[in-house]
Amino acid sequence: MSKQPAVHTEDVWKVFEHDGISVEAVRGVTMDIQPGEFVVMAGPSGSGKTTLLNLLGGLTRPTRGKVWIDGNDLTELSERRLAQLRLQRVGFVFQAYNLLPVLTALENAEFSLLLRGVPDEERHAKVRALFEKIGIAGLEDRRPSKLSGGQQQRVAVARAVVGEPALVLADEPTANLDTATSVALLDVMTRLNQEMGTTFVFATHDQRLMERAQRLIRLVDGAIETDDRRSAPAAR
Amino acid sequence: MTPRWLVLPRLSWRNVRRQWRRSLLTGTAMALGVAALVFSRTLGDGAHEDWIDSGVRMGSGHIAVQSPQFRASRKLEDRISAGDWEKVSAALEAPGVAPFVARVTPRLEVIGLANSPTSAVPVMIMGVDPASEAEFSQLGVEQRLVEGRYLEPGDRLHVYIGKRLAERLDLELGSRMVLSAQDVNGDIAGQLVRVVGIFQTGVPESDEGIVHVPLHTVQQWMGVEGDITTLSILLHSGWEVPRVLRRVRALVGEMTQGVSVLGWREAMPELDAAIKLDDFWGYVFNIVLFVIVALAIVNTILMSVLYRTREFGVLRALGLTKRETATVVFTEGLMLTGIAGVVGLLLGFGLVWLLFRNGLDYSGAIENDFTFSGVVLDTLVIPVFRWIQVVMSLGSIIAVGVLASLYPAYRATRIDVAEAMKFEA
Repeated sequence: MSKQPAVHTEDVWKVFEHDGISVEAVRGVTMDIQPGEFVVMAGPSGSGKTTLLNLLGGLTRPTRGKVWIDGNDLTELSERRLAQLRLQRVGFVFQAYNLLPVLTALENAEFSLLLRGVPDEERHAKVRALFEKIGIAGLEDRRPSKLSGGQQQRVAVARAVVGEPALVLADEPTANLDTATSVALLDVMTRLNQEMGTTFVFATHDQRLMERAQRLIRLVDGAIETDDRRSAPAAR
Repeated sequence: MTPRWLVLPRLSWRNVRRQWRRSLLTGTAMALGVAALVFSRTLGDGAHEDWIDSGVRMGSGHIAVQSPQFRASRKLEDRISAGDWEKVSAALEAPGVAPFVARVTPRLEVIGLANSPTSAVPVMIMGVDPASEAEFSQLGVEQRLVEGRYLEPGDRLHVYIGKRLAERLDLELGSRMVLSAQDVNGDIAGQLVRVVGIFQTGVPESDEGIVHVPLHTVQQWMGVEGDITTLSILLHSGWEVPRVLRRVRALVGEMTQGVSVLGWREAMPELDAAIKLDDFWGYVFNIVLFVIVALAIVNTILMSVLYRTREFGVLRALGLTKRETATVVFTEGLMLTGIAGVVGLLLGFGLVWLLFRNGLDYSGAIENDFTFSGVVLDTLVIPVFRWIQVVMSLGSIIAVGVLASLYPAYRATRIDVAEAMKFEA
């Protein structure tokens, strides 16, 4: 019996209306992403990468078609259930880190666990272990404004993976980082993928990230142009 | 374990602190609004108490017992018999009433003419019991006594008149004058009296239009031995009027049908209207004040919501529902309002206590006596502190805070999560 895909989409379309003009950002995307995959979606600007990522994460609803996360049809879920699903099953890493400035690094990372009602000690222990693993131990009490870009993005990665979601969606996670920091961050995510089996889906222009992809999906004008499966990604 | 519902207020509180300059500025505006409300309520209530106290003393008391027709007719035939007012006096001794009653005085009021060899002036002739009336109306107190003395229990053919009347009739202390009025039979009857004292209240109508004569003198003269037109009751506190009024009505109703028991608002509708009018303008002032405060809150929180569009997007992406996102914003408004409300209360009560606990004297601002609705207003206003003022002030600012936070909270729910991620503050 085959495993249930982490993500399944069926003829997904997203059309934006602006001043009476329709823009088809995503056109008829059908795909499966299996648990533990390290998928990179690449393509030129405007190819629909971010929109597709938002559709996979339930941040926006498709104009037509269906999206399943872990067997849940996002198009059928109420606003409340969708929020619950995002909390339980999806992690996000954004280009601009998007940490909450009023919370410390630890509080940011544990936020989803806090919302899930995980006990204080268990939460702290989990986050501290993760911080250790991704090389930011000792920064727990710092506010985002006191962290470098690379450190902030690691905290964002910790926040995304700490709840062991079915899927982590990362939109241009290395775009604001220098080469060394990007490489280090990619190492972290590759290792998490290999050690924790976390499913990663990236939208990126970054060639280094594409090189690590286990599966590279190229988008052009909102549609999948190529979908190449490769060997497991290598941590450098 | 931190419950989920506690996560949201924690986030709200951090945000209030994060924009501390903005919070401080808005909080200060709100606190000043509350302080101004406290200021106007404590001194306003104090002024109203003074008006009521002056009004009821010079008028018919906190509670007036009269014949049901007397207020409209002012005729002698609409009087209370000796038997009835004795019953009412007995009712005032009841356990549920007596502790609230400070003074009781009987009056026989007759409209008549004050005549001297030079002129005649229409007056209200008040037959009063000198002992109880002296304590009640305080018309004979030092500040009001210009010459002579107030009536005394042994007096018979004596009269206590106002300064303007004395001037109009060219009378002085010891002068004789004739009071004439229609007696119980409808005949014009005259009574020669001697001036024993002259008063001045500052109210022209009182100083020219009221004369005090011993009660038994007026009763004999009018042929209504033992009867009165009004039994005036002064309570220890004007706040007790509704309660005591209910009890007295119940007790008197059981004893006699021949009298009606009126609260001061019914007995002195002009004073009641004057206070209501003053209250109305007070409320208008407060509403304008709070609309300004509400706009400040809306502005601050809405700016904060717009500035943090991306953050709200992140919160939603992390699993907060729309309602929870709105709760974060709403709670921020409530926290700001609550803190500012408490600070405003402390500031308002503190300032009034520190600066005006012995009274706010505005005599320097006015040249002559300040009269209003036939009452001389004391130019020294003593503030009144009551729990209801705390409840009202805090309640008002929280209501304003709740209303003013609703729209920004609603706006936070309208944020498109995917769009919010592109937002640059």
